[in-house]
Amino acid sequence: MDITFMLEILPQFLSVLPITLLIIVVSTICGFLLSVLVVAIRIKKVRLLNPIMGMYISFTRSTPILLQLFLIYYGLPVVLALMGIHINDMNPTTASIITLIIYNGAYMSEVVRPAYLAVERGQHEAADSLGFSPFKKLYRIIIPQVAPIALPGLGNAIIYLIHDTSLIFAIGVVDIMGLANIIISSNYGMNQIEIYLLIAIIYWIVSMLSEQMIKYLERRKQRLPYNGSTKEVA
Amino acid sequence: MFMEVSTHKMLLLKNLQISFNDEQVLKGINLTVNKGDVVTLIGPSGTGKTTLLRCINYLEKPDDGEITLGDVHLDYKSIRKKDILKIRRKTAMVFQQYNLFKHKTVIENVMEAQMVVQKKSKKAAYEKSMEELEKVGLIDKINAYPSQLSGGQQQRVSIARALAVEPEVILFDEPTSALDPELVGEVLKVIEAVAKSGITIVLVTHEMSFAQNISTKVVFMDKGKIVEEGTPTEIFNQSSNERTREFLNQFYTRKN
Repeated sequence: MDITFMLEILPQFLSVLPITLLIIVVSTICGFLLSVLVVAIRIKKVRLLNPIMGMYISFTRSTPILLQLFLIYYGLPVVLALMGIHINDMNPTTASIITLIIYNGAYMSEVVRPAYLAVERGQHEAADSLGFSPFKKLYRIIIPQVAPIALPGLGNAIIYLIHDTSLIFAIGVVDIMGLANIIISSNYGMNQIEIYLLIAIIYWIVSMLSEQMIKYLERRKQRLPYNGSTKEVA
Repeated sequence: MFMEVSTHKMLLLKNLQISFNDEQVLKGINLTVNKGDVVTLIGPSGTGKTTLLRCINYLEKPDDGEITLGDVHLDYKSIRKKDILKIRRKTAMVFQQYNLFKHKTVIENVMEAQMVVQKKSKKAAYEKSMEELEKVGLIDKINAYPSQLSGGQQQRVSIARALAVEPEVILFDEPTSALDPELVGEVLKVIEAVAKSGITIVLVTHEMSFAQNISTKVVFMDKGKIVEEGTPTEIFNQSSNERTREFLNQFYTRKN
């Protein structure tokens, strides 16, 4: 085990880490927004779109993400060409982000939807009966009850997403995994273990940090909003 | 003076109809509720009493009919979203299952609609909430969560929550049906106090002697229709309608 070698190549990995982080952050946020849209369509049972969403979720969750990555990277330009839009060279980073958004939109929607459905009908009716507008009901009554149920599942989805980014080197993105393979092959396979161990530690730290972030949000949601302040108005 | 007040019409339903899956549940209900009235809906299970109550604040969407509530008049065939909120803001509902906001404390439950719907300041909402919670005897529980309360206490909070928005009509949907027998009394006592305070009430209940005591008007429903209505004495003691008597006989045997 060559620790000094690991420390030597660490800066190289840190220089490509922003690419991995960018992909993670964009795919998480956009994937989540997509999942909310999907859940809204499925719960409102929007005609035509609802069965399409069912198919989308089923397909996305039942095929390997690596395969989806290839389908988007090689297939999307073909589909777009048929529609008259010509892309000369698909950027692998863009293709990765699109794939991960689509994948996460489906995955997260299956976390958000049961969480939404877990809030009893009576909670909606109580707000309705008091004259809450649909937006106020959602914002003040429903979402605060959906969030604590959905957060642990969303946290898991984010960690899986982080791990899934390790596949995107397959279409040529130079993220930490891509860089590892480049270094290993230019090094004639020497120090392979050190390199893999090093990036394992990087993935571990990134996952741990996002887990802590979710845990922080969970604690925040459980905070009791008026407990201190009732005294102040009293 | 009192006569004048009591004949002022508060709620008027005309030919209200609703169907679920092609089965007509309410078959043309006409009902008049005067200001300060305590109207009790009684009748066999599955008759549409609760549905009627839920139609009044549009938790169920009637297929046909008209409603007049205070100064708002609506035809169910041409109802708009804005109208729904108007009607709902004049009424408040007390549910069988309490339906307190689970993520909020007792005081927050009572303050919430005052702040969010009525746009009251936090201080004003707090003071009004304390006033209502005092009436239902839960001043020592203001920081508890619903899950920490007994069913009877939860239902008393939900009554306070309904009163706090100062509705023109308050609707009670079998408020004691989900309670353990020993907790029924405390809730009935609170409802009785509300009734005496002069607020207009429409109540669905299976507590017959309670209905007899507090109602100004009793409505007997069967199979989606109003069969008979009148004062408690007229319905409970003098009814000549066979269905009414048959129904009431299941509940209590008349003395003398």
